[in-house]
Amino acid sequence: MRGTSTRSTPELLKDLRSLRVAVFHPRDNDGEQLIRQLQRIGCQVQAFWPPSVELNEPFDVAFLAVNPETITLDLPWIKGEDAPIRVAVVNYENPTIVDGMLRLGASAVIATPIRSFGVLSTLILARQLAGDLRLQRKRVAKLESKLQSIRKITDAKSVLMNSRKISEEDAYAVIRDQAMVKRVTVEEIATAIVNANEILSMVGVNPKS
Amino acid sequence: MLSEDTDLSNQQPIHVGVLFSETGVTAPIERTQLSGTLLAIDEVNAAGGIDGREVIPVCHDPHSDPMQYGTLAERLIVTNNVNVIFGCYMSSSRKAVLPVVEKWNRLLFYPTIYEGFEFSNNVIYTGAAPNQNSVQLADFMTLNFGSRVYLVGSNYIYPIESNRIMMDLVRQRNGEKVAERYLPLTAGHKEFESVVSDIRNRRPDFIFSTVVGESTQYLYRAYAEAGLNPKEMPIASLTTCEAEIRAMGAEYAAGHYTAAPYFQSVDSDTNRRVLDLYAKFMDGEVVTNMCWEAAYFQVHLFANAMRQSGTDQVEALLPHLLGAEFLAPQGRVRIDPATHHTCLYPRIGRANSKGQFTIVREAQRPVHPDPYLVTYSLGDWTTQIDTLDL
Repeated sequence: MRGTSTRSTPELLKDLRSLRVAVFHPRDNDGEQLIRQLQRIGCQVQAFWPPSVELNEPFDVAFLAVNPETITLDLPWIKGEDAPIRVAVVNYENPTIVDGMLRLGASAVIATPIRSFGVLSTLILARQLAGDLRLQRKRVAKLESKLQSIRKITDAKSVLMNSRKISEEDAYAVIRDQAMVKRVTVEEIATAIVNANEILSMVGVNPKS
Repeated sequence: MLSEDTDLSNQQPIHVGVLFSETGVTAPIERTQLSGTLLAIDEVNAAGGIDGREVIPVCHDPHSDPMQYGTLAERLIVTNNVNVIFGCYMSSSRKAVLPVVEKWNRLLFYPTIYEGFEFSNNVIYTGAAPNQNSVQLADFMTLNFGSRVYLVGSNYIYPIESNRIMMDLVRQRNGEKVAERYLPLTAGHKEFESVVSDIRNRRPDFIFSTVVGESTQYLYRAYAEAGLNPKEMPIASLTTCEAEIRAMGAEYAAGHYTAAPYFQSVDSDTNRRVLDLYAKFMDGEVVTNMCWEAAYFQVHLFANAMRQSGTDQVEALLPHLLGAEFLAPQGRVRIDPATHHTCLYPRIGRANSKGQFTIVREAQRPVHPDPYLVTYSLGDWTTQIDTLDL
């Protein structure tokens, strides 16, 4: 849990003034209200309409109107790790629009008519959720690769234990020493051992075959 | 109180709503806002009204109860047909009126310091935002007294947010929070005695008070009765003004500090002229304060705008209000078009034995409002500073 007991100002609030925000919304009253409120908050705002398929500079957050003109667009910049965090701006709640919002990968939504009140909270929450999600994804990827590496090392250890008749501890020591001598990771040595064992088994070096 | 040579009777009058509490916990300060409003309306009418139309205030008393503000705002609009309301002191009362003026698309003039982070197309904010008082107060107190601060406030949103800002600023001077205490608006002498005894034991460099309303006097009295010395460990406040000092007695407030855009002691021709006018209006000696002044000048900003728009409909008024300037008792103020807040002149005053403030620091140029500022920095009040008189 994030502690609030010390009541120091959260980072997400502190960096609002350096936040680069793109607004993709028709130049109507709602678009104007949204842009002006983001400017009051102090964000660096740029407006785009009609929406650009390419973005020439990086943005932290993008507010996108989800309407018949935008849901058919293919926007490559919404994909990828460093894509701006998306906030959907909706004026209908029919399945077509909701589907469009989901396909944007929006972290938050604001409804029209735009009121100045609520934009700040939505912006902060979207950044927190997207940031958390990004962090979790990284952690999952790291854990997956770690798990794979452990599995490789276990396999390699069994190969050595069987072929050399040594203990698990000694098997690991062999792998680790090789890794140090060759200046590669333990996992790479383990992979090499497992691969070699598979090849040797295939070509029938086993005297029993 | 129309002067006799002005006849406004043959034109349709303009009714405006006025919502300040004459009873309840915040009545002492809100009564001054009420009389500042009525003074300005009287002045406008005495000068021929708005293009010959008399301004008639429709006043309701919300009894310092936020719910009542919402209800009475609606009554002003629906029953009394007003398009413009002058009113509200506590944030909770403004928050109650806000949805009403937005729903009916009317205009609220709000003459009170508050914690910022708000904008409505239907509100004009004429009190100080935190970048127009908190920054200057934190700067002054930490430079002159140190940065170990004891926070005490009334239990509502303004004190809590003000304390956050104060601590952000104080930490920039490597300061620390000695304690953070909140008391109910109805807290009495006993509760403050216990706070003050804690203050005496823990010896902060200064006390930051955001106590508002009638309970303000109990803090200062308990402090004096405990024998603490304002020269060593003063109370710094954003809300203790001449009205609260009058309620508690000048001897209790003397030596303590307040930051505000206006004190009665402001040395300007305009202030002297308006004070004279006010003394005649009240028929006696008068005591003013920052909320009175904001209540006063915002009526003139409205009247000037309506002279140009010819109507008090919000869409017609706004273009003439946004960017408008007025020579107020504190100096020439201006409504910032982007935020609807007001460019004001931060000042630091030290309460003196007469129940007034000796101004010890003063902005020479107006400070632009920045109601959405999260991170403040000390020492950039972009203004010249008067010599200290400590």
